[in-house]
Amino acid sequence: MLEHYISLAVKAIFIENILLAYFLGMCSFLAISKKVETSIGLGLAVVFVLSITAPVNWFLHTYLLKEGALAWAGLPDLDLSYLNFIIFIATIAALVQLVEMIMDRFTPALYLSLGIFLPLIAVNCAILGGSLFLVERNYNLGESVVFGFGSGIGFFLAITTMAAIRHRLRYSNVPPALRGLGITMLLTGLLSMTFMAFSGIDL
Amino acid sequence: MGLLSKKSQQVLKDPLMSNNPIAFQVLGICSALAVTVKMDTAIVMTLAVVFVLSMSNTIISLLRNFIPGRVRIIVMLAIIASLVILTDQVLQAYAYDMSKQLSVFVGLIITNCIVLGRAEAFAMQNSVGKAFLDGVGNALGYGIILIAVSFFREILGSGSILGFAVIPESFYSAGYENVGLMVLSPGAFIILGLIIWVQRLITKVEEEA
Amino acid sequence: MRSNSYTLGFTTLVTIILGIMLSSAATLLKDRQQLNMELDIKKNILQALNISGQADVKLTAEEYQQMFSEKIRSYVIDKTGHRVDEMKPEDIDPKTMSGFYPVFEKVINNQTAGYAIPISGKGLWSTLYGYLALERDCKTVMGITFYKHGETPGLGGEIEKDWFTSNFVGKQIFDPTDKLVSIQIVKRTVDESSAEAYHQVDGISGATLTTKGMNIFIEQDLINYLPFFKLAHQTEEG
Repeated sequence: MLEHYISLAVKAIFIENILLAYFLGMCSFLAISKKVETSIGLGLAVVFVLSITAPVNWFLHTYLLKEGALAWAGLPDLDLSYLNFIIFIATIAALVQLVEMIMDRFTPALYLSLGIFLPLIAVNCAILGGSLFLVERNYNLGESVVFGFGSGIGFFLAITTMAAIRHRLRYSNVPPALRGLGITMLLTGLLSMTFMAFSGIDL
Repeated sequence: MGLLSKKSQQVLKDPLMSNNPIAFQVLGICSALAVTVKMDTAIVMTLAVVFVLSMSNTIISLLRNFIPGRVRIIVMLAIIASLVILTDQVLQAYAYDMSKQLSVFVGLIITNCIVLGRAEAFAMQNSVGKAFLDGVGNALGYGIILIAVSFFREILGSGSILGFAVIPESFYSAGYENVGLMVLSPGAFIILGLIIWVQRLITKVEEEA
Repeated sequence: MRSNSYTLGFTTLVTIILGIMLSSAATLLKDRQQLNMELDIKKNILQALNISGQADVKLTAEEYQQMFSEKIRSYVIDKTGHRVDEMKPEDIDPKTMSGFYPVFEKVINNQTAGYAIPISGKGLWSTLYGYLALERDCKTVMGITFYKHGETPGLGGEIEKDWFTSNFVGKQIFDPTDKLVSIQIVKRTVDESSAEAYHQVDGISGATLTTKGMNIFIEQDLINYLPFFKLAHQTEEG
């Protein structure tokens, strides 16, 4: 069983990275990856929020929204799964706010370093994507936690790597029109290609 | 275009060329790329975004004087999410195959930064008609990039356009092969990078590295 | 700054309006979506059995329905391969019942022309669902389709594409000594000169884990139907 979870985490981090294979979380990736320190901050915040929202949304889906999920309330025929999107995004927004307040109260140092990234995260597609994937793929609770955490780590890895590359890039002579967005996209392509090499891993 | 005033034309046309949302505002690339392997999915995605963005802009502009400032983001999100759910439900009912292929990516329109961005930056300040046009213009500007990327990925990766094979058989027998990389995710990044490069060469916009 | 009661009232109103709008849309469209899903499954069975032609052939919903009712005979078999006449394929709930399997038989001019069986199992991310069809000899693959999966487009998602599924056609699931060898999807392309080529299929680059999962669950599903294949084969020869 443990093997199964480890292999799921490896898949989510390396083989089909949520950013490099699914293109989720690109907005903040492009905007933030200019500096290594901020990238680490955003990366950690994503890991944190994904690990929380994935299981919470799993609970909501399984016990409220899924077809037959309301059987415990005496409504076995009700299917509210069409409300998935709206409930998920509301949960994410609320949880992010909550996390922000809790951090502010109890870990002010962490809040100062991560705090500014938290509002950005509510509309990060990687977070909503994570929740939608676990519904589509029918994960159980354990798998949702591992998948959420693994995807977060995958995002963290991709954004910090990119920030390090862009840091080195300052010393190279990039054609003017390619500077900034253009070269970053090309580099992301190369990074994504190197991650493809992991797809040969035998699990 | 005769029907529209000069200002309205500007609102509609600006995002299409010089102010294109993907290349200049760096918004909404997220959900865009995963559906660009084939052109047909990219076109349906564009239509979905046009619908959601124009409707959300219209509704939010209608309500702009009533929405309390403190809760405006969550109200906008609720409206956008409802429109996306509606789109998804209609696709499932009338274009089942397409909705299967788009899978979770329709849902991700909610977090497409363009939609919320236009609602906040434009619809909250402008009249209904202008907000509607702004929505259509921005969604089309986004769609053009999306369709351009999918055009190159499909023709290079699968040798077809909209599913019809366009590379003649004789090319293949002469040793030409489809570029497998284009079907995979790196292809999307590289094509998009090149498109941005070309667009900036033409418009002469530069950015600090 | 507006009063709290106004904010509260406004959000409640918005919630109610959106709620009514969404639930009525979902209820109105539900039947049609259900129909689409059933039709999609029928389409896949027809396609696996090579009745409706390739995936790019577009027929209307009615044509598919008619084709299905004319050319497909569906029934349920038990573990020993015998027909269970009191059950229908749609009665089987895989969660609560084991040992019962649906069969979709292709009937042309009152003659059996092939069998389709459902296959499903884990790929890389998700459970894949599809149909595998065999010729009337119960040995040769007639076709394979997938109608539901959550694999990555362009990678594992390629399993539903014609270029991949067409490789299965004509492959054998038994070795020359009549032992079940199932279908084996290899990495890269099949070496045609190898002695194993008769049951091997070209892989998908970048989707090793998806196809590995397929190898496992296709064999598992075929084992369940083994008694049925033996029986059907006997009647065929007898």
